[in-house]
This record gives sequence, C-alpha cells and structure tokens, in this order.
Amino acid sequence: MSATREQVFPTRMILGVMKTKLKGANQGHSLLKRKSEALTKRFRDITKRIDEAKQKMGRVMQTAAFSLAEVSYATGENIGYQVQESVSKARFRVKARQENVSGVYLPQFESYIDSNINDFKLTGLGRGGQQVQHAKEIYSKAVETLVELASLQTAFIILDEVIKVTNRRVNAIEHVIIPRTENTIAYINSELDELDREEFYRLKKVQETKQKETARVDAEVRAKAQAAAELQASQSGKSLDKVIAENKITEAKEESNSNENLVANQEDDVIF
Amino acid sequence: MEGVYFNVDNGFIEGVVRGYRNGLLTSNQYLNLTQCDTLDDFKLQLSSTDYGNFLSSVATEGLTTSIIQELASQKLYQEFNYIRNQTRRFNKKFMDFITYGYMIDNVTLMITGTIHDRDKAEILQRCHPLGWFDTLPTLSVATDLESLYETVLVDTPIAPYFSNCFDNAEELDDLNIEIIRNKLYKAYLNDFYNFISSELPEPAKEAMQDLVVFEADRRSINIALNSLQSEDIAPDLKRELLPDLGKLYPIATAHLAEAQDFETVRAIVGSVYEYKGILESGNLEDHFYKYEMELCRDAFTQQFAVSTIWAWMKSKEQEVRNITWIAECIAQNQREKINNYISVY
Amino acid sequence: MSVDKRTLIAVIGDEDTATGLLLAGIGQITPETQEKNFFVYEENKTTKEDVLEKFQFFTQERDDIAILLINQYVAEKIRADIDSYSNAFPAILEIPSKDHPYDPEKDSVLKRVRRLFGE
Repeated sequence: MSATREQVFPTRMILGVMKTKLKGANQGHSLLKRKSEALTKRFRDITKRIDEAKQKMGRVMQTAAFSLAEVSYATGENIGYQVQESVSKARFRVKARQENVSGVYLPQFESYIDSNINDFKLTGLGRGGQQVQHAKEIYSKAVETLVELASLQTAFIILDEVIKVTNRRVNAIEHVIIPRTENTIAYINSELDELDREEFYRLKKVQETKQKETARVDAEVRAKAQAAAELQASQSGKSLDKVIAENKITEAKEESNSNENLVANQEDDVIF
Repeated sequence: MEGVYFNVDNGFIEGVVRGYRNGLLTSNQYLNLTQCDTLDDFKLQLSSTDYGNFLSSVATEGLTTSIIQELASQKLYQEFNYIRNQTRRFNKKFMDFITYGYMIDNVTLMITGTIHDRDKAEILQRCHPLGWFDTLPTLSVATDLESLYETVLVDTPIAPYFSNCFDNAEELDDLNIEIIRNKLYKAYLNDFYNFISSELPEPAKEAMQDLVVFEADRRSINIALNSLQSEDIAPDLKRELLPDLGKLYPIATAHLAEAQDFETVRAIVGSVYEYKGILESGNLEDHFYKYEMELCRDAFTQQFAVSTIWAWMKSKEQEVRNITWIAECIAQNQREKINNYISVY
Repeated sequence: MSVDKRTLIAVIGDEDTATGLLLAGIGQITPETQEKNFFVYEENKTTKEDVLEKFQFFTQERDDIAILLINQYVAEKIRADIDSYSNAFPAILEIPSKDHPYDPEKDSVLKRVRRLFGE
C-alpha cells in the first residue's frame, strides 16, 4: 500500500499542490483524532452508565413484577387479559430531544405522561383496585427507568457507529492518504532531480563538444601560419617584422575562411 | 330433628367437605412453606400436605408460580366438581348458585373479547372452569346487549340478572363492561341472598347470610373506594352498582354513593361496627380476606349445614392465593413480605 | 430519520410483563389499523417465527415506535437477529421477566460493550 502514489505529472506545480495536500491531511488527522478522543471519552462514560443502569433495571423490574403479584393476590384472578383488552390510547409516551456532542446528535428520550388518558379506570373496581393503582404507579416509575436506559443505549449505538467512522477516517488519513501524498512528493522530487541531472549532463556534453572544436580549429590555424611563414622566409628573406605583418593579414583572411568552414561543419552536423 | 333428615341427602357431602377442610393447610404447614429457599423446596414441602404430588410432573426448570397456581386451582376445581356431582335437590341449586359468580366473570370476559374481535378459542381458555356453561362459546356472535341477551343468555341461569338491569338499547363498549359486571354481580348477590333466606334451613341459612352479606359489603366498599378516581361514575350510577344488602345497607350505602373523597368513605365505613378500622391501616384486601376467613372458620362450627361447602370453597381459594403468594415471594426473593398470607386454621 | 414522530414504547413479552407495562400506560391501539404496540408471548405457544415477525414489524414497519422492550428470554429465541440489529431507532431494550431474571451476559448491547473494551 505504502508504495503507491498518485498518478501525476511530476512538475513543480503539482509538487506545490501535493505539499498543500499533505499539510491539509496532517491537520485533518490531528483534528479527527481529537474528535475521536472526545467521543471515546463520552462513550466510555456512557458504557459505564449503561452497565449501572442495567443492574438498576433488574432491581426495578423485580419490584414492579412483585407489585403485580400483589394485584393478583388481591383480585384473586389474572387481570392480564382484561388489561390488554382495555388498552386504547397510550398515556405514557416519550419525546426525543437531541444533544450535540462534538458534532454528533445524540437523542435523549424524555418520558411524559398524559394524565387525561386513563384506560384502566375501572380495572379492579369490585376488588383490588388499590393494588392495581399501586402497580400502575410502580410500573410507571419502572418504565421511566427503562426510558432512561434506552436513551443511554441509543447514544451508545450512535456513538459506537460515529466513533467507528471517525477512527476509520483517522486511520485512512494516517495510513493511506499521508503516506501516499508523501510518496507522490518524493516521486515528484526524484523526477525533478532526475531532470536536473539530465540537463546538467547535456550542458556539459555541449560544452565539451564546443571545446574540442575550438581546439581543433586553433591547431589548424597555427599549422597554416607556420607553413606560410616558412615559405616566405625561404623565398625572399624578408625582415621578420614584415613576415609577422603579413602573417597577420593571412590570419585575418584565414579567419574568414575558417568561419565558412565552421558553417560547413555545422551543416554537416545537421546532416548527420 | 332436622339433623336426622339432613344426613339422608347430605351426610356424605358434609363428610367429604369436612374431610377436605381438614386437608387445608395449617399455620405450621404455612410456616414450613415460608422457610423454603427455592421453589423446589417449596414443592417438596407441599408434597407432604394434602396437595400430595400434584407438582410431580413439573420439571424443576419449568416450575414457576403461575404453574403452581394453575395446578393448585385445578385441584380445587376437581374437588368442587366432585362435591357438586354428589349433591341433590336444593343443595344442587345451592352449588349452582356458587358457580353463577364465575359465570358472570366469564360472560363479561366473552363480551370483552367480542368487542375487540378476539380469537374465541383463546378467550375460552381463559374462562373460569367453574363458570362454564354450554352456550358460553356461542356468546361471541352477539354485537350488542340486546342480541346477546336474546340469542344466548336467555337460556342461562344468569339471564334474569341481565334483564333486570339494562335498557337493552345500550351499545357495548369498554367502560360499560366493568359496570355491567358489577351490576350483574349486584343482581346475583341479591338473588343468592333471597334464595338462601327462602330455601335453606337453619342453621345453614344464618351462616350463609352472614357470608353473602359480607361479600356484598366488601363489594360496596371496594366500588366506593375505587370509583373515587374516575369522575364518570356519577352517584346515580354508583347507586346502581352498590349491592342493596349487607350491613352497610341502606344508610351507609346511600352515603357511599355520594362520597367523593377517601376521608368520607372512611368515615362512612367506620360508622359500621364490623368494618370499623378496616380503612385505618394496612391493606384493605388483607383485612377483608382475614375477616372472610374468620367467618368461614366459624361456619364450620355448625353441623348439618351446607354452608360448610361455601366456607370450604372460600378457604380453599384463599389457600391457593396464599400458596401463590408464598411461591411468588420465594421466586422473587421478597422475604420481608412473605408473611402476608392469611391463615386461620 | 424522523425522531419526532417516534413517541411510543412497544413491548414483546410474557403476559405479566406486558400487563405491567400496559398498566403504566404504554399501550396504544392505532385507531385506523387496529394495530397494537404490544405482543404477548406465550410459552410453548408462540413460535420463533411469530416473535421474529413481530420484531420486524415493530422495528421496520412502524415509524412511531421509539423504544422496543423485549423480555430477555424471548429475545434469546431470535438472538441472531437482535445481535445484528444496529439501528438507533427504535432502541431495543432487553428487560427481565418475572420468572427469568436479568442476565447481563446475554444482552446484545452489553455484549458489544464488553467486546469493545476487550473485557
């Protein structure tokens, strides 16, 4: 994985883009990491409370179940069926409120009782009505505890999900995006270096050819001049001064000649 | 002299009932039961009583209080039916009267189910076995009181109770059911009382009158108390629900119908000697059960009387409740309340 | 996810549990459809499929349920489905019943808690 890089042209502009990207990724990483830590803290807090609340629920439900036993003792019959059939409208409802934790909305259930509704007014009219009333109260309290627990649990599930996503992002940035961007930067750098080296080598080569050529031309000119001087000296024995002056003239002439040669040379170069 | 003839028809029954009465759990046995740590222990303790091994087919993991209650009740029904099958003549009628109360429960149950379109078979399972009558399953065809009465109830013994207390046009709905049930019960108690007064010989008459009167008073007080929270039961309606017999009737009953708060009810109930202090402390039902059990125990002191059947029946029902209660306390680990049972034998 | 609409508490449980909770006033019968928000489980009578069907009905089809209470021992029957249920709404809560005390070891959510913290 870490060997991969993005498919880009290794240019200086892209290098700039990549460097900005790396910087952004690093910043994002540290922010997300902090978010995840904040959430995890909350999460641990909630889990602890869930554990406690579940224990509490066990006790509360037991008391509630017992109040029902008192009802059946007092009425001498099972009121279950009657209760089920008397149901029509919920008296006990919940409302969801939202709470913001590091940008995550956690629902918070709130129970409320509509005291206008009472489906079981007459249950136990002839017998055991007080126990029924008592059981009603106890169960209402029990349901409140359950609602509380449900809030915690929902928060738990949502946080769990969010933390997972956040951690996935943190890990993705840490282990994929950052290394890949770094690889790309390294790649671009190495490509650019390579280009630099090539350029340098090319320039050196050109210089070398030039130097060789100059040396060759120099040698030629010198050889000619020497030959001419020897010829004159043997023919007329002129004064050395004159020879030198003449030499200079020939040299100038030669120079224009050699210029022509160079052009020819270059033309040769172009052909080959 | 009556005693001589009594035994011709009823000697065997009385013998059986007294035998059953001796099988009722005693205080010592209750004490042993409350010492149990698990339902298994409980089962073991019960097996040394008259219940024998009625729980033997239940595996340990399936042993719950509801099963204990169910099987204990079954034993009661069996015994009741056994006695019922031995009775003759007016005693048979007496036994029938005992079952009418359960019939009323069953009928109201069926009506409830009918209103809500419930599965008939399911409701029938929940009906009280002692209140069973042949046309019970057909009850569900009815949609309003009139057709209910005309098609089904007219053939049952509780028909007169219906015809007496309704203008038939009334539609059935939830609120009415409880009211219907209580109106029926009121009519039933009246009828029962009249039957006792006119047909039963002494001393059964006196004992039974006491017991039925108590039943009526208990209902009166309960209805008065429990209707306090619901405004839609007006004093007029309440008057129709409160039984017009008993120690509270007529003065206290009239006052109860008007009572609007707990204090008033308490003052009214307190003005009757028998129920003085019943609302002062503790649990109302407990007081009633205790009082009822004492009446039943006293009923056994009379010989040559069918009232022992009723007394045994009520004692046995209380016993089932006690057993269920103790089992419940054991199962749910509520030790501090385990002694709330009522034991008089 | 419309949270505001979800105001009801639904229950899948044995008769005692349901009765108690209904007494507290959570029961509602939708006037239009006559659908109940409670389901009574009967030992040896209600099948696993019935429970599952109701569970899915409460969790997926109805949009007015905020919390679903289910007896733990009933939840055991459809454990796999509950374990794989991960929606936040409705919240699933496993509750004890009279005859079956609460066992934290079996609770889906607590299992997740323990797994997360490697306990």
